[in-house]
Amino acid sequence: MKRNLAYLGERALLVLISIVVLFPIAWMFLTAFKQPRDAYSLSLIFEPTLQNFITVFSDPWNLGSMVMNSVIVATVTVAIAVPCAALAAYSFSRFRVKGRKFLFFLILSTQFIPAVVIVLPFFLMFRQLGMLDTRLALIIVNLAIVTPFVIWMIKGFIDAIPTDSEEAAMIDGASRLRVIKDIVLPMAAPGIMTSSIFCFILTWNEFLFALILSRRDAVTLPVGLVSFRTERGDLWELMSAAGVMITVPIFIMALFIQKHFTRGMTAGAVK
Amino acid sequence: MAEVRLVDIEKRYGNFLAVPKQSLTIHDGEFLVLLGPSGCGKTTTMRMIAGLEDITSGDIMIKGERVNDKPPKDRDIAMVFQNYGLYPHMTVRQNIEYPLKLRGMPKADRKDRVRETAEKVELDALLERRPSELSGGQRQRVALARAIVRTPSIFLMDEPLSNLDAKLRVTMRAELKHLHHELGVTTVYVTHDQMEAMTLASRVAVMREGKIVQLDTPKKIYAEPADLFVAGFIGSPSMNLIDGAVKGGVFRADGVEVSVDLADRDGVVLGIRPEELDITQDAKAAISGKLYALELTGESTLVTLRNGPSSVCARGHADFEADINSPCHLAPKDGARIHLFDRATGERLG
Repeated sequence: MKRNLAYLGERALLVLISIVVLFPIAWMFLTAFKQPRDAYSLSLIFEPTLQNFITVFSDPWNLGSMVMNSVIVATVTVAIAVPCAALAAYSFSRFRVKGRKFLFFLILSTQFIPAVVIVLPFFLMFRQLGMLDTRLALIIVNLAIVTPFVIWMIKGFIDAIPTDSEEAAMIDGASRLRVIKDIVLPMAAPGIMTSSIFCFILTWNEFLFALILSRRDAVTLPVGLVSFRTERGDLWELMSAAGVMITVPIFIMALFIQKHFTRGMTAGAVK
Repeated sequence: MAEVRLVDIEKRYGNFLAVPKQSLTIHDGEFLVLLGPSGCGKTTTMRMIAGLEDITSGDIMIKGERVNDKPPKDRDIAMVFQNYGLYPHMTVRQNIEYPLKLRGMPKADRKDRVRETAEKVELDALLERRPSELSGGQRQRVALARAIVRTPSIFLMDEPLSNLDAKLRVTMRAELKHLHHELGVTTVYVTHDQMEAMTLASRVAVMREGKIVQLDTPKKIYAEPADLFVAGFIGSPSMNLIDGAVKGGVFRADGVEVSVDLADRDGVVLGIRPEELDITQDAKAAISGKLYALELTGESTLVTLRNGPSSVCARGHADFEADINSPCHLAPKDGARIHLFDRATGERLG
């Protein structure tokens, strides 16, 4: 009886937490398919429409260019950050260099600085360089944000790989770089995949720097959402449609990551 | 084929001296076993030969050439690791093929060589499997195949049998011995198992605290251990070591009186192997005490008797039976080797 009550209480709590977490998302998905007049209604019965998605991709909103900016910024950031971070992580994991721990702490410590503190220096720097409102500026900033995090993450995966296989490859005739390419990277692949997806999600959702450093040409999806706050008020149905466009790729990645994250965590644990 | 020379090599980790300065020559085609307890520096010594560990001072010469600064890949060695060091994402075929691929051998030749090698270690039916789908013994054979596939100048084997069960270990031991006979490649083998050392080695280097304390053939090491440590380490069951003193040409301890050729002195340890003692009914026998334990091993019975602090083991007939705590007497066999050591220094006496 006592156990049943505890079980019921536990379930009720889980349902409550799920409602709190999922309600805004469900509301966003529903609103994206509502007509403007239904946007403020909580009713589940309404006449669905795809007009909001058509509107956000047309003038003056042009979500298409923002999607393109977000895809380019996130993809290029991942493409640069992950290989560099993998090499750095390997070095931190394998080479016993003096000051290694301090250097690693230094890299991680960049994550402790609140973004809002450094956004102004970044703004001034890019203005000086004439790089404001460019994708390159956003890529550089995002690289600075995600690379330390990815180094730390991949290092954990590489630490878990036993060194025997690497040493065997070196004796078999491989150079250090060949060992990394043929042995370490395939063995750390699930971890690197997980880190890449995390890196993509972080960049995809980055808001503050994109807001300050972009104006028209390099605006990304999260910043684009702000433009739906107009003189006519907040256009919730359009904001929701854009929100769905931002969220769906991340949802798909989250589904993918679930499988890879568990594989990544156990990949190096077994000899 | 190659001769390996370690000249005054030393290894330090900060202030810790792992391998003190020493020299060693491993002859061409020899099977040299580095034997010692855990942490005695044998694996470190092997890793220095492999180039996986830098040496603090000294020189390593392979085929007369100084290789201190050469990376492992340029030393023409192959190594079998304790945990096999297989490539888990590759199939057995790819594992065996990898050293050949790195050396740029054409694909067709590689295929033939892999097949020949796999047949040699009876892996030909498992070539498309991954290491995770193999048993311990099969994995060990993959590691071996990967080492022999390109016939290197030197084989290094770091406790390759330690992860196998007892039965498989005996089988693999014979295979290794046969393989060495067939290929004749200079081999350095690290183990803490004295049985492996005795059965496989041309010469054994017994190590203690980083230092080689005796380097000789297994027969010689067994018959004439250089010191108390080697005497206690080699042999199963190990040599009986009895604390006592010599007076008037007789070694005396509780229940032990053995004639020896040594001047009077205290602090002497007498050593005699269990198989060189006979169980006798003679109450005046050299060693007397009460029967402490009987252990049947199949082909013989190990008889342990005690008298005070002295405990002596003898290898008796498999049918031997007696009551525990009954009086028991042992006598050295004719021609038995009696070893005498200094208790304080461990050095051999006489």
